[in-house]
Amino acid sequence: MTTTSFGSRRLTGVAMSAALLLGVASGCSSDEKSTTDAGKATTSTAAAEGAVLRVPEDHRSIQAAVDAAKPGDMVLVGEGVYKEAVDVTTEDITIRGVDRNKVILDGEFELENGIRVLDTEGVVVENMTARNYVSNGFYWTGSDRYRGSYLTAYRNGDYGIYAFNSYHGQLDHSYGSGSPDAGFYIGECYECDAVIDTVVSEYNGLGYSGTNSGGELYIINSIFRHNRAGVVPNSGSYELCYPGRSNVIVGNLVYDNNMTDGPGIDVSLLAQGNGILLAGSINNRVERNRVYDHARTGIAAVPFPEEDASDTPPPADELKRSCKETRNDEIPDEPVGTVLWNATGNRFVGNVVEGSGTADLASATIALSEGDVSTAELDNCFSDNTFTTSAPTGLEDLAPCDGTGTGGDFTAGALDLMVLIAQQPDKPPKDSYKSTPVPDDQENMPNATTAPHPRFEGPKKPDVDAIGVPDKPA
Amino acid sequence: MAHLTPLRRRGLTVVVAVAMIVLGGGLIANARDGGASSNGTAGSVPLAVEAPAQGAVGPTRHVGPQGRVGQFVVHCDYSHSGPNDPIVHFGHAGRSHLHDFYGSDVIDESSTPEIMLAGGTTCDKVVDKAGYWHPALYDRGELVTPRSIAAYYRAAPGVDPAEVQTMPTGLAMIAGDQTATTPQAGEATGWACGSRTRISDDPPTDCSPGSPLHLQLTFKDCWDGRNTDSPDHQSHVAYSVDGACPSTHPVHIPQLMVSINFPVSGPDHQLTLASGNIYSAHGDFLNAWEPAGLQREIDQCIKRDVVCDLASNREEEPLFSG
Repeated sequence: MTTTSFGSRRLTGVAMSAALLLGVASGCSSDEKSTTDAGKATTSTAAAEGAVLRVPEDHRSIQAAVDAAKPGDMVLVGEGVYKEAVDVTTEDITIRGVDRNKVILDGEFELENGIRVLDTEGVVVENMTARNYVSNGFYWTGSDRYRGSYLTAYRNGDYGIYAFNSYHGQLDHSYGSGSPDAGFYIGECYECDAVIDTVVSEYNGLGYSGTNSGGELYIINSIFRHNRAGVVPNSGSYELCYPGRSNVIVGNLVYDNNMTDGPGIDVSLLAQGNGILLAGSINNRVERNRVYDHARTGIAAVPFPEEDASDTPPPADELKRSCKETRNDEIPDEPVGTVLWNATGNRFVGNVVEGSGTADLASATIALSEGDVSTAELDNCFSDNTFTTSAPTGLEDLAPCDGTGTGGDFTAGALDLMVLIAQQPDKPPKDSYKSTPVPDDQENMPNATTAPHPRFEGPKKPDVDAIGVPDKPA
Repeated sequence: MAHLTPLRRRGLTVVVAVAMIVLGGGLIANARDGGASSNGTAGSVPLAVEAPAQGAVGPTRHVGPQGRVGQFVVHCDYSHSGPNDPIVHFGHAGRSHLHDFYGSDVIDESSTPEIMLAGGTTCDKVVDKAGYWHPALYDRGELVTPRSIAAYYRAAPGVDPAEVQTMPTGLAMIAGDQTATTPQAGEATGWACGSRTRISDDPPTDCSPGSPLHLQLTFKDCWDGRNTDSPDHQSHVAYSVDGACPSTHPVHIPQLMVSINFPVSGPDHQLTLASGNIYSAHGDFLNAWEPAGLQREIDQCIKRDVVCDLASNREEEPLFSG
């Protein structure tokens, strides 16, 4: 194609050199991989570092450059406002802006997604902004080995940064605000093998949401503030892969998630005023987070009630089955009615929680009938937290993580969920996301124009034991 | 570990089980109530009535949680109502029963795809300027103003997604039978609460405010490849059977399922439709998507078998309302 310009050929050489250096430095073995696919074999070296396609110099639009890119290439986007909705179906490419704050995809509240990656592995997007999209800023669906770094997403109509049915992913050094659903979302995956690290999420319905996701899913070192609710992993049979389970939520700063006048879908109204809310998600670790100033609870495990559910929770011995194994399971022929997805088996350890209107720590369910699971049977445990109030009262004594509880009264000071559910705020106007705060300039990735663009092999497992309780901001 | 076993198949029994009416009787009538010859939508209309569709009497439907097959979903707010029908009574204002319209915000009795493409839309995908409509719903004689629709586009069950082609501009389709006075055969139409996928011939009386009454319409997914409409507005399209289209209608198109959200919950309603009793439920579709936009979604989502949208992201999920 004519788009293989002199400029991009020259850059290819530079990039290849950088790739070799990186390969040596990181021990990356991607350029050693062999493949039986003839088409891929010719690019197996280039898959580590291919050509650089510049926008607008080599291609007028990001989409044109993406369409021209081959595995291993990088699309390097110059400063400007791009009114595009970019679809990506070429694997192992990097799409990078030269300046996070000056490379802006703008949907003008008409286009759907800033960048949408469809069933395509190894797509890295970094150092740019997506705003004013009807659906999502940055979106991976059915796409493994994904990475989004140094991204800013604001005023988008569903999610800021969104991964669905995608595995082996990493979202880092990114910012999401002003979305009615969530600033960050990873959903329908088990085991996800994904990391959210060093992100900021604010002025959303939910800071983080993930339906039916978990398993090697880490949410760490991040800030969730000024949302309707902070971090809300959840479950439901209206989507596949239920329940959400085995998330690791460590070292986050979660505060003032009490927004009442911004965007929010229905479930965020239900979750309003809570910091870390496990809504029907099970077997999670919530450790060493600093959580403060919430109208309701700081950290809580609560049920997610699903009306007209498609199915009921699977038994414990099926929880290790992957999404791929369970996705075609038969569902009951007859209506199962309302299902209570209880949040069970969660560990809450070493968190620092204060300033909660209802309770700093809480574990709750709704037992309406004889034989329904009681709060005492939820098997959530609490130890070594710094807190003042809990529901039920004395939660660390009732349900410690080591040893057995005191056997006290789980009904004393328990949350009255029915009252809380009934006290939902008014639903905001649909277009309220369009007027949320414009963020300040965000940190750029280092050396955006010269940094290499190696193939992304998947996230490194974080050393969560090394993560402490974060300090309050100055 | 979690005490999961006690939860198995236990829910809050606040919802009364829906009485499923046994499906049967009521063959779909091909003939419509006049006006067919005046159809003005794009594409050629055959001079002679073709043989009835060779496909099934009703669709094979997707049931259960979303996400098993590739799909895209459009959410469109209620736009307006009028006694007009640009498919069945083209050019004749006021001849139809009252319809509620979604999508194209300019649609009336004389709408052509060209006019609709030049107008606006109430859909979140702004390239979708198609018209979606159904007879207005009444409760004890009082008009019910609907909220919105979710339109699901998928390969029909059993169909190879790679075989699905785009819909031609101006394609007119009707799901259901407006003349029915007894439960319609098949599941082209049916009622449910919220996003429940099991449907019934009678509207459930146990829907909650957070999971209210929905009418679901499933359109035909096999096209004859030539005509965007036909004198009976049915014969140019057919339902697939076991993933196969009949030889008379060999072109696979997306299976369009439209879910209409009404602010109706609980018992004590007397529901009727502008077309007659509740069994006359039906709906219409007139394609005026921007062609490149529709082609893109079909290529990226259906043919690649990718879940591009979930209706639950588009506020279709049921919500406990206390």
